[in-house]
Amino acid sequence: MQRRNFLLATASGLAVLANPDHVFARALAQTPLPGLPGGTDRCLVLVNLHGGNDGLNCVVPHGNDRYYQVRPGLAIDRHDVLAIDAHVGLNPGMRSFKALYDKGMVAIVQSVGYPNPDHSHFRSTEIWQTAAPDRYEHTGWLGRYLDDAGLPPANLFKGVAVSKVLPEAMVSNRTDVPAIPGLREYAMIADGNATARRAFAQQARDRRLPFESPYLAHVMEIEADAQRSSEELPRLVSGYVTKASYPATGLGRSLALAAQIVGSHLGTKAIYVEHGSFDTHVSQKTTQNRLLAEFSDAIGAFYQDLAAHGNDRRVLTVTFSEFGRRIEENGSRGTDHGEASPLFMIGGGVKGGLYGQAPDLGATNMGNVRFTTDFRGVYATVLERWLGRPSAPLLGGEFVQLPVLT
Amino acid sequence: MAAQAQVDVGGILRPQGSLDPSTALRPYSERLGSRAAAHLLRRAGFGGTADEIRRYGSMHAGEAVSLLLDAKASPGPTPDLVNAQAPLTRRDVRDVLDELQLWWLNAMLSSPAPLSEKLTLYFHGHFTSRATPRFPRITYQQNALFRSYALGNLRELTRAVSKDPAMLIYLNGGANVAAHPNENFARELMELFTLGLGNFTEQDVRESARAWTGWHVDRRSASAQFNPALHDGGSKRFLGRTGNFNGDDVVNIIFAQPQCARFFATSLLNWFVYNNPEPQLVETVAAMLRAHDFELRPVVAAILQSDVFYSARAYRALVKSPVEFVVGTYKVLGLSKLDAGALPALAQMGQRLFFPPSVAGWPGGQNWLTSGTMIARQNFLTRVLGAQGLSASVWLHGLPLTPQDVSKRLAQTILQGDAAPAALFELQGYLGGAGSAALGTLSVENYDQRLRGAAYLAMATPAYQLN
Repeated sequence: MQRRNFLLATASGLAVLANPDHVFARALAQTPLPGLPGGTDRCLVLVNLHGGNDGLNCVVPHGNDRYYQVRPGLAIDRHDVLAIDAHVGLNPGMRSFKALYDKGMVAIVQSVGYPNPDHSHFRSTEIWQTAAPDRYEHTGWLGRYLDDAGLPPANLFKGVAVSKVLPEAMVSNRTDVPAIPGLREYAMIADGNATARRAFAQQARDRRLPFESPYLAHVMEIEADAQRSSEELPRLVSGYVTKASYPATGLGRSLALAAQIVGSHLGTKAIYVEHGSFDTHVSQKTTQNRLLAEFSDAIGAFYQDLAAHGNDRRVLTVTFSEFGRRIEENGSRGTDHGEASPLFMIGGGVKGGLYGQAPDLGATNMGNVRFTTDFRGVYATVLERWLGRPSAPLLGGEFVQLPVLT
Repeated sequence: MAAQAQVDVGGILRPQGSLDPSTALRPYSERLGSRAAAHLLRRAGFGGTADEIRRYGSMHAGEAVSLLLDAKASPGPTPDLVNAQAPLTRRDVRDVLDELQLWWLNAMLSSPAPLSEKLTLYFHGHFTSRATPRFPRITYQQNALFRSYALGNLRELTRAVSKDPAMLIYLNGGANVAAHPNENFARELMELFTLGLGNFTEQDVRESARAWTGWHVDRRSASAQFNPALHDGGSKRFLGRTGNFNGDDVVNIIFAQPQCARFFATSLLNWFVYNNPEPQLVETVAAMLRAHDFELRPVVAAILQSDVFYSARAYRALVKSPVEFVVGTYKVLGLSKLDAGALPALAQMGQRLFFPPSVAGWPGGQNWLTSGTMIARQNFLTRVLGAQGLSASVWLHGLPLTPQDVSKRLAQTILQGDAAPAALFELQGYLGGAGSAALGTLSVENYDQRLRGAAYLAMATPAYQLN
């Protein structure tokens, strides 16, 4: 980019800032998003079930006697499982989620993982977020997508992380992805300086500075983005009204904001939310059942909200967790770090059902579920068939896609 | 107008213009003056107070750097919770992590040897390990180890780090036994700590992992122990040599590779001078490292006294890390102590001490700056400048009452004058109550409040984000 171009871009940004008439909002709503087949306003919602969600007590192999043998204190009772078929069913807390499954809106992809699994939360999370099991990559898979997708540069909300800190999945080279824990938090503190700050911010863009820096253009761009996006966001989403009753949980609030952003047509292509911690080394049942019930209730409210606004076919939700857990329970009514686990793909555009191979509890990888579906195949499916981008450059290779989208 | 510098992989940018390698490392002989002194204090530490900038500004580079090198490190007394009976309970874990971070941040703010703290921070990002929350002594000890080698020998530090309990835990040294070698540490040692990708083979990883077998950690006593029964005493072939190598041998062989000096030279130039240094500059510093047998003190001294360090290309050529931003703000305001409120602010800016985002450390450069982290930076400034106790700040006293003098002094102290004319004009206008803010003229009654507002505005300029 030439500096000259940058100046022009900043100048137009300022014009928008000075205009109270929602020009920005209208412009965004009317901007067609290039490069996408079919609908131009599809969005991906990525839900991180962090801490390592135990797959076997989430998608329960209730038809498998071995499951009951290796988990004498931890197995979910056959009568409590929300049965999908004679072999598997869902955790008893997941009633709303089961209802979505019964409507054909949920794909369960089984035994998802990657070669040479890492058992560290930290490294395995990084692997899932960067989609790079075999190297260190500082950009995330969605960050690379946002850089690559040819989205309108003026849009400040191409991707949104509903979190305090930007997750690695959305770290990019060129796209400013705001981390928005909530509308209230994503704001400059309103103090006596607000007016002065605004006036000053414009003067401070005078570029006749007595120094040069390779980072100066970037700093000025981000300062303008921060000011503009924090001022615009509340206005842009203020027209959205919902009747859905979200649970009063962190995930409930996060998904309510996600639905509001989607429903406000900001041109947002990817939203990241978090839920956890699933790191259940001790007394797993209480914790995991509660977390899965919270997940199920929040997702239920989310799709109810989306459907009421005609947005349920616009939003594909995909879950992931850094790993599943050990097949055998440990001595503290919990489970230790494991390997492959199931993930969910949810939405009006999904062909519901079971995908991938069910875990083989006999042929394990040193006590862990072997992966049979590479998670990068799931990402490739999302990138190619939902977001309409070639996946190989973003994932560093071709991966087998799943026939999971209609 | 020149095109913008290319964005290299990782959002790390080299300054515009070209390097003269023949003069780059030549000692800079000028008297520093306040701008170069502030630059030195920001890079070799965490910035300076108005007094410090004045004092260093009157010195020549050599004199100023000697003063920084000779200062004795004194991080303050060990936090109590570090000595508590481990493992800690869940509730204590949170407290101790906060306490440890604050303890170190306050050392950065107040240490008589800021360069030691700056190098400790460098090592923390270079030889990354994550906190061991239930065994805080292990984390504390690693921090102390880095400090003790701050201006020491890189080879000896690497040997010490390889047996450091925090590192053994973080990179699975304890799981590395003769029967089932774990390659995690062996790989990162070469890939991220000493050589870089492309300078070793998978066989080198496998063979050196065997050399590291047998080490494990006793967490309660926070000590590393070597069990010969778990060590693979067989012959290994590593980086072209064959022998019955142990871990120390592996480090010695690595440091004999020409690439090792280049790797550290690049890393030190990235930290102290500018990002993505030219190969010729790297070679020059690498030769110095070899000539001094990897002793850091003379090499750091040479870098901080060099022409290239004081060149326009190095000036404001780095992005302030959140830690530099926060500690530097406290410092320039003359505040004596960080409180716990700084910790969530730092987390929102993307830097939690003892929790680097990956084994590769904090990526730095453009990666520090997103809308969200920028809002966190601005909100941190609002909070600090609104806080009680600030009126004790040194530069708030004795300033004259005219908007012109105050704005000049603020721009000088906070920005070393690195602001655009329009911004300086607006700053003066704000202080005088002119313009859209319509605040009324500066008076004894509104002086304190107005000054805080003006300091905020000065800190909201682009230069303040740059180091």
